[in-house]
Parts: sequence; C-alpha cells; structure tokens
Amino acid sequence: MTNELAALSQELAAAVERAGRAVAAVHARTRFSSSGVFWRPGIIVTAEHTIRREEEITVTLPDGRNVPATLAGSDPGTDVAVLKADWSGDPAPRASTALVPGNLALTIGRSQDSGVNATMGIVSAVSGSWRTWRGGRLDQYIRLDLTLYPGSSGGVVVNTAGEAIGIATSALSRIAGLAIPASTVDRVVDEILTRGRVAKGYLGLGLQPVVLPDHHKGLIVLSLEPEGPAAKAGVVIGDILVSLAGSPVEDTDDIQTVLESHPVGQTVQAGLLRGGAAHQLAITVGERARRS
Amino acid sequence: MQAFGAFAERLRRSTVQVFSHKERGGGSGVIWNSDGLILTNSHVARSAEMQVELWDGRRFPARVSSRDPRRDLAELRISASSLEPASPGDSSTLRPGELVMAIGNPLGFAGALSTGVVHSIGALPGMGRQSWIRANVRLAPGNSGGPLADARGRVIGINTAIVNGLGVAVPSNTASAFVSRGPRPALGVTLRPARIGLEILDLEPQGAAARASLRTGDILLMSFDDLSDALDSGRDVLRLQFFRGDRTRVRETFVRLGARAEAA
Repeated sequence: MTNELAALSQELAAAVERAGRAVAAVHARTRFSSSGVFWRPGIIVTAEHTIRREEEITVTLPDGRNVPATLAGSDPGTDVAVLKADWSGDPAPRASTALVPGNLALTIGRSQDSGVNATMGIVSAVSGSWRTWRGGRLDQYIRLDLTLYPGSSGGVVVNTAGEAIGIATSALSRIAGLAIPASTVDRVVDEILTRGRVAKGYLGLGLQPVVLPDHHKGLIVLSLEPEGPAAKAGVVIGDILVSLAGSPVEDTDDIQTVLESHPVGQTVQAGLLRGGAAHQLAITVGERARRS
Repeated sequence: MQAFGAFAERLRRSTVQVFSHKERGGGSGVIWNSDGLILTNSHVARSAEMQVELWDGRRFPARVSSRDPRRDLAELRISASSLEPASPGDSSTLRPGELVMAIGNPLGFAGALSTGVVHSIGALPGMGRQSWIRANVRLAPGNSGGPLADARGRVIGINTAIVNGLGVAVPSNTASAFVSRGPRPALGVTLRPARIGLEILDLEPQGAAARASLRTGDILLMSFDDLSDALDSGRDVLRLQFFRGDRTRVRETFVRLGARAEAA
C-alpha cells in the first residue's frame, strides 16, 4: 500500500524541481518579493500587481544569483508584467493536455532565502473566455483551490508533470486564486515585446442600452469625446448603435468584445439608427489614453 | 487513497497531548522511543511539571528533562514502557512538493489530521541561520509539538509555528541531534529586539546570563543572528557588550556557557 502515496509524493517533488528550474524570485516591491517564471529565454513573466516600482528591479535566478532586470512592459488588465533578465536557462515547459476541474495543480515560486517553494491544490473551475474586473480578457477562466501565500503571485501554475498551465495571481478574483492561461500570457508577451505595451482600443462614446420599438436592443449615444474616433467618423449624440463590425451590440460588453478583436488603427463598420433610419459609418479604432 | 488513512492512524498512536499543570491549554508531542521519551516544543513545555495523555486516554505526569529554546525543542520523560514510537525520517532529503501530513490537537481536537505539501526548506528571516521546513498544511494552536510526516508516515519535522498561514516545523534531523547531543548552549534569557541590540526581558535564575550578572533591562549590543553564531561557535566563554541604564557607557561581561545545570 505504501507506495502509491510515496510514488505520488516523489512525482510531485519531481514536478516542482522540473518547473522550479525556470522560476525566479522578483524583487520589485517592499517587504515580500514575488515570483516570476522564464516564459521564453531571457523573458520573465510575473503578476503585474506585484510590480511596485519600474526601476531597480532585481531577480533571484534559479541558480541563486541575483541579477538586475528591466521592465519590458505590463498589462494591468490581465495582470501580466514582462521583465528581461540575462539568463540562458531553459524556459518553463508548457502543458499540452486539456485542463479539467479536479486536476491537481501546484503553484511554484521562489524566494531568495529558501529557494523554490510549492503549494498544492486542485483546479476548481475551468470555463471559456472571461473578462477581468481590470478590463483585460483571459482566454480561459481557471480558478484554483489552493492557498496563495504572499510571494506566490507571479509563480507558475503547473500540472503534476511540472508543465505550465499559467501564471498564478491573487489579484483578479476576490474569492480565489486564478491561473492566467498560458495562451493569454503568450498573446500579452508578444504584444509587449513588439509594441512595449498592450494597446486598448476605444471609440470615444458614452453609451446606454435602450430597447427599440421593435423590441430589439441598441446603445444610445449620450456623450461623445470631441475629436474622438466616433466623432471624427460623424457619429452624433442621440444616434443608436445597433451593430459593430457586423455583430449586433446590446450592451457595452459587446462593444469591448468587438474592440478586443480589432486592434487600434483598424476600421470597423458601425450600424446605427438616426431618426429611425439606418446608417453605416466607418470608425477607425483609436487608442485609449493610459492612466499613469 | 487508503494509504493516507493507514499512515495517519499509525502516526496518531505515536502522537500525544501535552498539558502544563496549571492551565488546560496545551499542545502536542511525539513519542520518540518506547520507554517514555517524548519530544515537543520548548514553548509547549513551559513548566517543569507537565501532563501527557496518550492516544488511548492514559495520562501520565511528565518531567521536562531537557530544553532548547532556540530550536524550540523540549524532551519530556514519562514512566511508561512499550509505547509505540514514531519512525523518524531523514529531513535532509526532503524536497518542495512532497506530500506531508500533520497530526496534533488543534484547538483541542485530539488526533486531527491535516495534509498538504512541503512549501520550502530554509532559513526564516530574523530567526538565525538554522533551517526550517515550511508546509502548506493548515495548523492551529495545539498542533505545536506534534509530528509532520512524509508520504511513508516517517516523521520529518516537529510542528512549531504558523507564519503567514504556512506551517513551520523543526526538521527531524535537528530533533534527532537534540535528543542525541542535548541542547545547544544558551544564555538563558528572553530577548526582545530593541532600537539598538537586544533587550533582556527575563532571565532563568541559574542560566549563563544570570551567572554573569546580567539583569533584566540590560541591552546586549548585537543582533539575533550574531548571538546565534556566537553561541554555536563552540567557544565556552563569550564576551558580551551591553548597556545598563546609561546609554553612553558600553559595559562588558564574560559569559561562561559550559555545562548547563538542567532543570531536574
């Protein structure tokens, strides 16, 4: 009977060791350090909310050395920050099997004093694309039933083979830790490395959902950013927006969904009602000013 | 998995409840050999006369035969034989991620089991250079002094504290060294970090510091880590500098560590 349990224990420790070879400690706030993972050679991904300064960031590498790191960019919406550090080790291996609720999961972090650390639990929920309260979109909602200790955020969430499922964060949900899915991390890393930031599309409209006489729904324009993308395209206050890029829009979430798939600079067709008559206008998506 | 239950049951028989004479609140302990040697935390064995209750309900008076406050370990003796001792594991081979289980008497629930994995192994900030095991097992007051065991049921640590929600345990190799070689030298003082140095809050009457004429309120001019290193250096006599009242005059004393008169 012994050895099922002892074998599982050894398997878990091996998974921690394997994944731990790509996990670093990130020193970018006072008191507790956080964790980060080498996602690509020389590229560390961590949780954006644990980065409290933009300069004098250091990381403790998997081999124990402390080296300086530079912030390549971050996306508060998905809680992803990207750091560059000089290290030639291999990045974390990626999980290829589909995740289901009930799978065992480990979060692996690192601290300068005691090296690799691990916590274990299960994946408690997996569902489709999900928008965070910070406005970003995760490709999957992966809720974790495990304890994230101070310093765990930004660590890598792995399966029992030590393969990365995503990045651990305690900042996107009040009730549980989440894994930022690997595919979302890939997308954000690509965008940050090519553009230095994640641009958020915007139209410059204040909208309110309304029900039309024919019981369809639309969004009435209550305010207009002067010189904003919609104003430039000829939208006026009182217009009722009924479709964007061919999809019907009934609430502001629908607008966000369209904007996520239409990068800044692209032109979208807006269908609207003005005085009861249908109009089409082409709006060029603008970039939302970043809060500093 | 059946195995968890089976190991937990065996470990439960090697785990005891420890009560101090005066108050009811107590902790846990581990039966270290069949002739009545029980290991617990020094902070659990506060008074010289203790009570120990076995898993089967038998209760024995216990004597504190040795104590090491810096490692938070104490040795109790009870007059019993044919006990079921725990089997110690080798804590030096432990790795983060290994499955562990803790047995104890959290909040008075005798023999409660909690499980998790090893979180990390290493020094704790401000606690000297010695190594501790951290585990993501849920502990509560009353787990102190109880066993932390691996997936084969071997005791790899003595549960000691809860830090940021993580269980902290003294590694079993440290516990074995304490049993075989006795306590490490100690000053016999309770210290609190002051603005500079360490303030003496309390002294053991026959402790090394008391014999060197140190008093309550004196401030030792060193850090906790420096003191730990000095005590572990193997020297018999330490030269300590301190303030007494007047913070402009540095005083000096020689503390003879040597053989400690253990509480008998």
